[in-house]
Amino acid sequence: MEADKNIDEKKLSEQLQRLLMSIEASGRAILPGSNDTLLASIVEAAAKIFGAAAASILLVNEEEEALEFRVSTGEANRDLVGTKFPYEKGIAGYVFMTGMPIATSNVKEDKRFNQDFAESTGYVPNSILATPLISSDDRVIGVMEVLDKIDAESFDMRDMDLMGLFAQQAAMAIEQSQQIDEVQDTMVRALKRLAKADSSKPSPELQSALDQSLENRAEMEDLLELADLFNRISVLGEAERKACIQILEVFANLRKTDKSPFRFR
Amino acid sequence: MPEETLRPAWSQDFTPDAIQQLLASGPFAKITPDWAWGKSTGKGIRVAVVDSGIEHDHPALDDCVKGGVIVEYDSRAENYNRIKAEDKPVDVSGHGTACAGIIHSIAPEAELYSVRVLGRSMGGRAIQFAAGLDWTIENDMQVVNMSLSTSSEDFYGLFHDLADQAYFKNINLVSAVNNIPEPSYPSLYSSVISVAAHEGKDPFTYYYNTKPPVEFGAPGIDVEVAWNKGQYLVCTGNSFAAPHITGITALIRAKHPDLTPFQVKAVLLACAANTKRGSKKKR
Repeated sequence: MEADKNIDEKKLSEQLQRLLMSIEASGRAILPGSNDTLLASIVEAAAKIFGAAAASILLVNEEEEALEFRVSTGEANRDLVGTKFPYEKGIAGYVFMTGMPIATSNVKEDKRFNQDFAESTGYVPNSILATPLISSDDRVIGVMEVLDKIDAESFDMRDMDLMGLFAQQAAMAIEQSQQIDEVQDTMVRALKRLAKADSSKPSPELQSALDQSLENRAEMEDLLELADLFNRISVLGEAERKACIQILEVFANLRKTDKSPFRFR
Repeated sequence: MPEETLRPAWSQDFTPDAIQQLLASGPFAKITPDWAWGKSTGKGIRVAVVDSGIEHDHPALDDCVKGGVIVEYDSRAENYNRIKAEDKPVDVSGHGTACAGIIHSIAPEAELYSVRVLGRSMGGRAIQFAAGLDWTIENDMQVVNMSLSTSSEDFYGLFHDLADQAYFKNINLVSAVNNIPEPSYPSLYSSVISVAAHEGKDPFTYYYNTKPPVEFGAPGIDVEVAWNKGQYLVCTGNSFAAPHITGITALIRAKHPDLTPFQVKAVLLACAANTKRGSKKKR
């Protein structure tokens, strides 16, 4: 009986590993890689679209009641990534508190602002446009800033309007990416508690599977690579996508019947 | 509730090409800016600025700030908020001071009250905002500037009710529309004067939009504003357009104390820069 139980647990833990990896993989297939990669691609796009010399994203750190620099591009000091400052500091703090976008210019002319701006942007820009990142349930999850309009003295209302649209999409992507991380995290924690709950029947197999699930992903690296590939394929044209589906279907069916003409190992 | 769609950029209705010409005829043709607010200073009108506070001793404000309150979120309190009096208000960001400075520059003898609803606590942002608006209704304010909004559907009904209460108590609510592609409350209710920014610089030049819900366009682009710590800053945003209309509304109400909120709106329309006076010619 004891042996049967161990086998069952081993099966369960294997299934669990697969489930967790497929959650991660499905996230990868929809989103461009990790949250940080996503943020980097958003700020780079923002800087290009709005003709800005630099751009950055700050996300809320609720535990510390602070805004945290998560990513920046261009002249903004990259060393600032990870630094935090209180909600009420600078332009980013204001945008965060009100949920209203703001643009300012002629910043350098007034030395008194330098300190606040340096803290909230990484350097002192001539012009700045800051827009809230608002989640689907109306929480301000952060602030996106573009700094120094290249061809003009300041960002205008058109930039502000466009940035509103852009930030909405960005906030949605960030939220989804965070949710996938959270779902996996929450699931592991919940199952860990479950595994430990009944101390008369310890489940070492299950616990070790859960302990490994967030750190040890090497075994499933190829699955994640495949998910990344799906993501890249998804942005191709319809014809290309269909062709890819057909190719993959052939492979899948061949493996099913085990009559593959290819040597996989 | 309307289906969620990408909304137009509100300020685009106020670009020179987009502004529609309007005609004020009959008795409305007699309403001119000079009649509406000529020689008015906004004397004695109580104007609330629901925002990040007001720096009462900012040199741009000439002691026009007469008091205020701080509204804080408290999950254990009745209606989830606590209100503390603040006789000499301060500003936690600078934005409320910017709005107050614009209002004071237009209506120099209006009395300003700071209703601080923004602060470190993020949990109850919309609740603080609603409680602050409620305070202005219960404390006999006459004009309320709200350069902030919420897009939370959960608060649609509550803000709608508060806006109606204000309307029936003869309080003009002036609200900046948010430049995000989401509905923003309370700026989209008909009982509220909602404002977006246009490129002009003259503080008294504003336009009426024939395609509501955003009804008025006022200066809000590269406006020099007061900021906290006695500073000044050049800013762009609908946040800075709304206080222009708030200031003009205070002027109108000081000169014509019997006007109701809907009459004030009609006067604003009649005095908009894109309204021509005259009568339709009969053929």
